[in-house]
Amino acid sequence: MFQRASIRGAMQYKVNLWVGIATGVAYQGTGFAFVWVVLQRFPSLAGWTLAQVAFLYGLRLVAHATWLVPMNALVGIEWLVREGAFDRYLLRPLNPLVQLLTTRPMRVGGLGDLLTGIGILAAAAALADVRWTPEVIGLAALAILGGALIEGGIQLAIASLSFRLLTIFQISHFVDDIFSRFGSYPLKVFGGTAEWILTWVVPVAFVAYVPASVILDQQMRLAPWAALLPPAIGIVIFVGAYRFWERQLRHYQSTGN
Amino acid sequence: MSGADRGMVRLALRITYAYRVSVLTTAGLLVVEVFLLRMIWTSVYGGQSSVDGFRLDALIVYLTLVNLQMFLMTTPLAAHIHSRVRTGVVFFDFVRPIGYPRQMLGIQAGTTLGQASLLLPAIPVAFLAGAISAPADAVAALAYVVSLILGYGIAVLLALLLGMAAFWTIEINGITLFYRFVSQFFAGTMIPLTFFPGPLRTLADLLPFRFLGYVPAAIYVGVLDQAEIPRTLATQAVWMVVLAGLFGLTWRRAQRRLVVQGG
Repeated sequence: MFQRASIRGAMQYKVNLWVGIATGVAYQGTGFAFVWVVLQRFPSLAGWTLAQVAFLYGLRLVAHATWLVPMNALVGIEWLVREGAFDRYLLRPLNPLVQLLTTRPMRVGGLGDLLTGIGILAAAAALADVRWTPEVIGLAALAILGGALIEGGIQLAIASLSFRLLTIFQISHFVDDIFSRFGSYPLKVFGGTAEWILTWVVPVAFVAYVPASVILDQQMRLAPWAALLPPAIGIVIFVGAYRFWERQLRHYQSTGN
Repeated sequence: MSGADRGMVRLALRITYAYRVSVLTTAGLLVVEVFLLRMIWTSVYGGQSSVDGFRLDALIVYLTLVNLQMFLMTTPLAAHIHSRVRTGVVFFDFVRPIGYPRQMLGIQAGTTLGQASLLLPAIPVAFLAGAISAPADAVAALAYVVSLILGYGIAVLLALLLGMAAFWTIEINGITLFYRFVSQFFAGTMIPLTFFPGPLRTLADLLPFRFLGYVPAAIYVGVLDQAEIPRTLATQAVWMVVLAGLFGLTWRRAQRRLVVQGG
């Protein structure tokens, strides 16, 4: 009877794992299916063909997964803090953030995104005639790293708020959704004001749109070195976010929790 | 409606209100989504005023309506049932004085009331982000209301049936979320079904999800041929009857199964 129960449990875990990945794929898949169906019927989206939009979509997704997979533990932080379980990490000598990210069991959240993203990116690159020269590979790698630092940094800053506010999950979810929705399409579709806000106020543009535009040789006002902006901006944001995290953590510790 | 019914409705209302931040965030994202869809569709139309018989201005009204509809048709029932089965407390649901279906309907009614009241301030913002206009004509207006009510019924029944699966299958956590994405896509929340390529359109027409979004909204903006309306509404009604019958058969079996397994 115990054996049956444990087999059931193990099967359940595997089923949950696959459903978790499938759900992630479905979520990204419906977003991408939208692009695919529309560009079956219409020639282009603001001058971007299906393959090019797919490239942008895939690039953004891979950048997103690149911070989500290692930093997935951030997602549940508000519950840890509220239940006092986070305090464990403060008792040990190792950096609490590192502990948080390494001691929690890995969740499947990012894997679905990573698989889908790489798949779309590879297929799109082939269809868009992107030649993977060392230069292009380098640009893409910098873009992915930069995008991961930008999104990950912003999410780290939001997670830091969990030391002050009771719930931050909705803020985190909302911001993540904005980056996901607007970051996956050519930004000029959204018109002047929105485009400006999504570039200079909330740096969605730099996660994938700017580097993709450079790689795909889409007409942009910026020069090719603009592809170096994402990692630069990413580092600034991530370092700033980490400092913010440290400050919130110090405050949390000092108020005797 | 007995006191116990009112109690279930009030409870669901309170729970929805307790999750108001989540509901409001979803409402905010709805507005963002409508804006996003409007800009993308305006861009692909590329100056054309109409494509495949769908005028751009009508399309934006369609998108606004469809997303508002899907928000109101979000139902907690599938997740609720799965959770009750998982924790084993579903047994108590079966021994309550109110019948099981009535309890579920009470929960749904309370949730919709709560969600609708939280959505209220977002509606004008959604209209700004997208667009709204009067229905195509009086017939369309009336047919819209009927179609919407039937669509809501179908949404609830589908969720109940998905919930029933919890009694037979290994517990699958992500299935309700997966279901939501699939149902939203085939309801036409991002693309009206008229633009689906051949085989995909065939599939979409076979599935009931179109009644949650595309069908009512298409009636409203006048894209659905007037002559087609009676047949479409009849099809919706048939779907509802079939799904209700299926649920009627299933919940009793579920209860029996629970007792047999020593719930």
